[in-house]
Amino acid sequence: MRKFTREELKEFNGKNGKPAYIAYRGKVYDVSHSFLWKGGRHQALHEAGEDLTEGLKEAPHGEEFILKFPVVGILESSTDLEGR
Amino acid sequence: MAKVAREMVERSGVDVEKLLELLIKNAAAELTTYYYYTILRANLIGLEGESLKEIAEVARIEDRNHFEALVPRIYELGGKLPDNMKEFHDMSACPPANLPENLTVEEILKVLVEAERCAVRGYTQICNMTAGKDHRTYDLALAILNEEIEHESWFSEFLGEGPSGHFMRRGETSPFVSKFLK
Repeated sequence: MRKFTREELKEFNGKNGKPAYIAYRGKVYDVSHSFLWKGGRHQALHEAGEDLTEGLKEAPHGEEFILKFPVVGILESSTDLEGR
Repeated sequence: MAKVAREMVERSGVDVEKLLELLIKNAAAELTTYYYYTILRANLIGLEGESLKEIAEVARIEDRNHFEALVPRIYELGGKLPDNMKEFHDMSACPPANLPENLTVEEILKVLVEAERCAVRGYTQICNMTAGKDHRTYDLALAILNEEIEHESWFSEFLGEGPSGHFMRRGETSPFVSKFLK
């Protein structure tokens, strides 16, 4: 499985035809096909290409909304890898 | 635009541009839901579906009321609705409440309850963002949230998830939001 640095992850911001990826607890998820991530932006508050592990704590929903997306890689240097 | 009203919100620490984006996305969700619920309601048929038609209709009308109540606040804060209707549809805070492929009453109820749950999350977020800071938007978002929670509980009850805990509307709509519509 591909490993992403935080810098590499930023490239996948869902803009200009690029895929939209987000990281959560050490895994990288592809949200490109989600209606709620159109243009790489989610609910005015989050951008694709980011690690949302901390951000999710403030969200009005749980991790089940992230875990349903396909995993496309691992975020390097993450200390909170789910299932490690 | 209400300049001083906006300034007060900015001074309280709220990011007004982000708040406006959320209000516009949720206004889009309300108007598109009103449209999609029209189709869902029309397909609530038969012995089982007919009894739910009136409930879906109340939720549909109240969602339109939410759109009407949100629009003045968007303009007060210096925002605007997109000129293009398709653009407005596509920026909705909630996915389209499409008619399910398997056209049973239960599947329609699942679409309805998920739409309401999306709305509950959205207005909870706006309430959290504005509580103690932007009193007018908070008051509006809380009024809408009250109605969205009731809608969720109605549809949830029919899916066998437990009692809603209250009665249907009695000849009126939007008991919480109506004060913003006068």
